Amino acid sequence: MNDHEFKFTGNAKEYFGIWIVNLLLSIVTIGIYTAWAKVRRVRYFYANTWLDKHNFEYHARPVSILIGRIIVVGALLVYNLLINLTPLAAVLLIPYIIILPWIINKAIRFNARVTSYRNIRFNFAGTYWRAFLVFVIMPMVAIISFGILGPVASRLGQNYIGNNLKYGTAKFSTDAPLGKLYSNWGASIGFFVVATLGFGIIGAIVMAVDTELGFIEQLIDNPDIEQGLKQIYAMSITGILVAYIAAIFSYLFYKAGVRNVAYNATVLEGGHRLVSTVSRWKYVWILITNLLAALATIGLLRPWAAIRSWRYLADNTSLKAASDLTEFVEQKTPEGTAAGAEFLDIEGIDFGL
Amino acid sequence: MGNIEGRYFVAGSSASQDARFELVDGLAMIRLADGSQTYSGEVALVSDRLGNVVRKITLYDGSLFETPDNNGVDELFDVHKSFFNRLTHIESSVKLVAILAVVTMLVLFGAYRYGLPILARVAANVTPTSVLSLMDAGARETVDRVIFSKTKLDDKKRAVISVLFEDLKKQSGQIDPPLRLLFRDGGILGANAIALPGGTVIITDQLVGKAKSDDEIAGVLGHEIGHVELRHSLRQIYRVLGISFMVTIIGGDSSQLVEDVIAQASALENLSYSRKFETESDYRSAELMVGLGRDPYAFVELLKRITLDKGEKSDTGWLATHPGTFDRMATVKKYVNSLKP
Repeated sequence: MNDHEFKFTGNAKEYFGIWIVNLLLSIVTIGIYTAWAKVRRVRYFYANTWLDKHNFEYHARPVSILIGRIIVVGALLVYNLLINLTPLAAVLLIPYIIILPWIINKAIRFNARVTSYRNIRFNFAGTYWRAFLVFVIMPMVAIISFGILGPVASRLGQNYIGNNLKYGTAKFSTDAPLGKLYSNWGASIGFFVVATLGFGIIGAIVMAVDTELGFIEQLIDNPDIEQGLKQIYAMSITGILVAYIAAIFSYLFYKAGVRNVAYNATVLEGGHRLVSTVSRWKYVWILITNLLAALATIGLLRPWAAIRSWRYLADNTSLKAASDLTEFVEQKTPEGTAAGAEFLDIEGIDFGL
Repeated sequence: MGNIEGRYFVAGSSASQDARFELVDGLAMIRLADGSQTYSGEVALVSDRLGNVVRKITLYDGSLFETPDNNGVDELFDVHKSFFNRLTHIESSVKLVAILAVVTMLVLFGAYRYGLPILARVAANVTPTSVLSLMDAGARETVDRVIFSKTKLDDKKRAVISVLFEDLKKQSGQIDPPLRLLFRDGGILGANAIALPGGTVIITDQLVGKAKSDDEIAGVLGHEIGHVELRHSLRQIYRVLGISFMVTIIGGDSSQLVEDVIAQASALENLSYSRKFETESDYRSAELMVGLGRDPYAFVELLKRITLDKGEKSDTGWLATHPGTFDRMATVKKYVNSLKP
């Protein structure tokens, strides 16, 4: 067994230059350059990620990305206009749900096929009904059960992606253990309680100070409510806000845990095992401080933040290789269209970590 | 000259060997470390320069040569002046990047502050009336189902107000989309008047009940006509679309957290935009009222009475959709004075 750590060699200074040029060219070309910008951005992160002295590569062609984006933006524009024209357009949600699994399969496949390592591309071959179960049914089940069945949904989702992913002709296989997912879920609930208490104290202090400022008073601009009730109202609004923020952080905490469980249960054909040792607390801390840093600098620290979180994940990932990794063979496949991948990208849907 | 050290992968294999790349008469020659030659043929693709990222040269048989020697590749293939090489040059200069950062911030601010509203106005003005009528019908259906119920005003009162409306309509010269007036019981909205994008103006029984004179009602109707004429609802829709488009461009690499925060911030900003629309409509109302020889301040008095009854504050809050009535009175007065020759 050879232990290989993932290493990231990108740095914030170099990436800042790439980022600002990407941004400026994207604005002056009213978005057309975003396709080239995306390829340069993703390629910078992939190509600076190393495993056993070899780096990853991102091969998507900007023109395919651009075509994908035009299709997606056009569809979203028409949908938004229809929604404004007639409330009946909400019916379009049904065909949307029907094609969603297909879109997601296409997207994961495109992203896999444009990624390579050691001259070998990744690939993905999912099936429609399995994707329908994992991406449409299970999220609903998780919500209806108040999150109690969340780990079951996570297990199915991670297994679906893991078991259909290939590296050349070699198959990955994932069998995320439900017990570990549930213990991660329990820890996330604990984190939620702690976070709620923590933010609750901050909220209480803000409210005490706010009696002077009157922000909350304006927030509840309803004259029909008596003064005493207003106080209770203000408290419940602050409470909801606190719980909302705590819930978002707990979700990030949960996702980091799921990554550990899923990676550690993933094997590449030939007996190569993935290992993930992300600390959930540290990961959430990195994301919170990243956000604050980006906000405080009107976005200028965003490149630094992106490098920081990517490096943290890379540093906590490794591969226990059973061989010297030279036995893999390419399986020739066309890349397919980028529209699905661009839809998920623009809508901010993301399965990776 | 003309050769680079690197690694060579045979087509379709993950095994690499140290090798040297040479370009002879435009053809690639790969020589392995032991001196044997394994490939000679055309080059399919040379990856673009990007920071100090390892360059990959794909050959026609699908084999691959990779090297960290960026300068060697640039020289060999003579791509110093290519677009991405120039970009890399700019990106690695601290001075140029600093200047670009300032320029980008200014451009972003300008596009958001001035570009978007202008584009939204142009887009709203060229949108065909048939689209407006469709939106109007949809919105009317919704408000009738959710908020309003049938009017309880008597025919005489309605006739008087309809005449007021006809006068204002003529005064405004608005034909496309055509204006029309509807009476409804306000339900939870209470004393209020709304304008739908396709020219439908709805006035509630409660508002009519609160009014002490025809001028007060006429002023409110004029305000709503202003919303229709200036296509405020369309402009709002286009602006929101524009903002989400901008966020997509900027937020290419941003995380979910950042996008959430931007969404909240732009919702707050939209409120200030909505207050601007209200002021524009107040001005239009004042113009129409002065033109008809009616009292342009009357409607502010009516609004004051309604808000006082509700116990609202009369100053403008930063979370308010409408300006406070004190502010409104002051700006309308100033505007009416500026109308006088």
